Amino acid sequence: MPTVSRFGSPSAIPRRTGIGLRTQHFRSVLGSLPDVGWLEVHSENFFGAGGQPLYYLERIRNHYPISLHGVGLSLGAVGGPDAEHLRRLKVLADRIEPGLISEHLAWSAVGGRHLNELLPLPGTEEALAVVCRAVAKTQEFLGRQILVENISSYLGYDHTTIPEPEFIREVVARTGCGLLLDINNVFVSAHNLGFDPRTYLAAIPHAAVQEIHLAGHSRMGNLLVDTHGTRVADAVWNLYAGAFAHLPPTPTLIEWDNDIPPLAVLVEEAERADSILERCLDQSA
Amino acid sequence: MISLLELQQAFADAVFGKEESPCPAQCVCRQELPETAFGIYRSSVLGNYRKALGAVYPVVERLVGERFFAHAADAFARRTPSCHGDLNRYGEEFADFLAGFPGAQCLAYLPDVARLEWAVDAVFNAADPSPPNLALLTSLAESGEEGVTFLLGDHCRLLRSPWPVDRLWALNQPGVAWDEGFSIDSGPVALLVRREGYDCAIEPLQESEFALLAALNDGLSVAAACARPESPAPERCGEILALRLAQGVLRVAP
Repeated sequence: MPTVSRFGSPSAIPRRTGIGLRTQHFRSVLGSLPDVGWLEVHSENFFGAGGQPLYYLERIRNHYPISLHGVGLSLGAVGGPDAEHLRRLKVLADRIEPGLISEHLAWSAVGGRHLNELLPLPGTEEALAVVCRAVAKTQEFLGRQILVENISSYLGYDHTTIPEPEFIREVVARTGCGLLLDINNVFVSAHNLGFDPRTYLAAIPHAAVQEIHLAGHSRMGNLLVDTHGTRVADAVWNLYAGAFAHLPPTPTLIEWDNDIPPLAVLVEEAERADSILERCLDQSA
Repeated sequence: MISLLELQQAFADAVFGKEESPCPAQCVCRQELPETAFGIYRSSVLGNYRKALGAVYPVVERLVGERFFAHAADAFARRTPSCHGDLNRYGEEFADFLAGFPGAQCLAYLPDVARLEWAVDAVFNAADPSPPNLALLTSLAESGEEGVTFLLGDHCRLLRSPWPVDRLWALNQPGVAWDEGFSIDSGPVALLVRREGYDCAIEPLQESEFALLAALNDGLSVAAACARPESPAPERCGEILALRLAQGVLRVAP
């Protein structure tokens, strides 16, 4: 199994914690230059040809390493990734020169209809082949490795035969992509679908993990929902700390997309993750 | 076994169907009925669409109220799903939809407010204007060529309405006090929507200037556009062209 990218490994994103940068914080980030390791943005929010979003991103790029995180490529769509979407992503990547580019292990479009949501794939050989083709095509088009991220699932499918960790291992092995491990998503899916999150973390391809996501979730009835609207839950912090039994210290990101709080709250969450990362760095030194 | 395509089509059909549309039979969930878990995806898809429309059409939302806007947005979403992975591009057809949407038809100006907001959003994210190519303009002027054509810059849009939607838009910006003297029946407007720096400007035009710019943007040569009876007098055309070229509103067509 290849564990090093065919396209070279990224070096610009440090082994520290970054925060997801949203438009509400453009000015405060530039004004205060908070002590966080790096920033991640949703690629699609900068697909316009110009204007304020790109103006701010280019200024912020002068101070922080940037990661581009996509939500709309639909790697699991039967028809493959949309050519125009790929073109816009490449234009942005050429302009920003991000340390990492990532997308989700999900589908969001079928027959020209885009649901613009990260929808779960069945664990089947057919879905695996579709995803591998899309990841390979994306990497070839961009001329670099991408990371794929495990999503939160609220339901599964009764014809699934390949458990998600095995599915991910195969995608990594067949395409040489990296893995963005979302610990909150593991926790949420484990609850909703009934698997052990620690067994999941033990089974993923550890050497492929180049980034970790942390976010808050909420409860709706008996389900956990990946709302990205609260602080990271204590149980997710525990799972995160425990993941380093398998993983080296890994760049980590605090995501927050709904009811976005003041920048200081994100920085606090990042400091908490950094303290865990620093302990791991000390232990691995 | 159901194919991936069949599963995805059934999933999308159930999302965009009525509330009681069943989810694909293959769906399973440990904690809840599959229909309940599926409902989270349906709510999320429609909620994301609503949020995207609300971001582009805040004045429409303010004029009709949050609840009616959500109702209209959901109806629009079911009829017109997004056709891009980038949700920021969603909703261009919303103005036409509103024109025929029951409950919104009593606000005849509402579709034009939506068209103005779409233009503002497009201009806001358009390519940054380039400085005018003075050398090219000088050489064109010296050559006396008659077939020169100009186009609007990508950061500019033209919009005409029988209602003063520019004023209505301005009065519905955050922090702006309502003007008791405003009347929606105060006459038609011809507008140039353009970026100024990184902000957006909505400039009312004389009908004749609007006609000239629209003719140029339709591909007529400078000579033909200026000769149209709707266009300003020849000396005024020259002034307008000089100003709009200097501002980057017009550029030499490739």
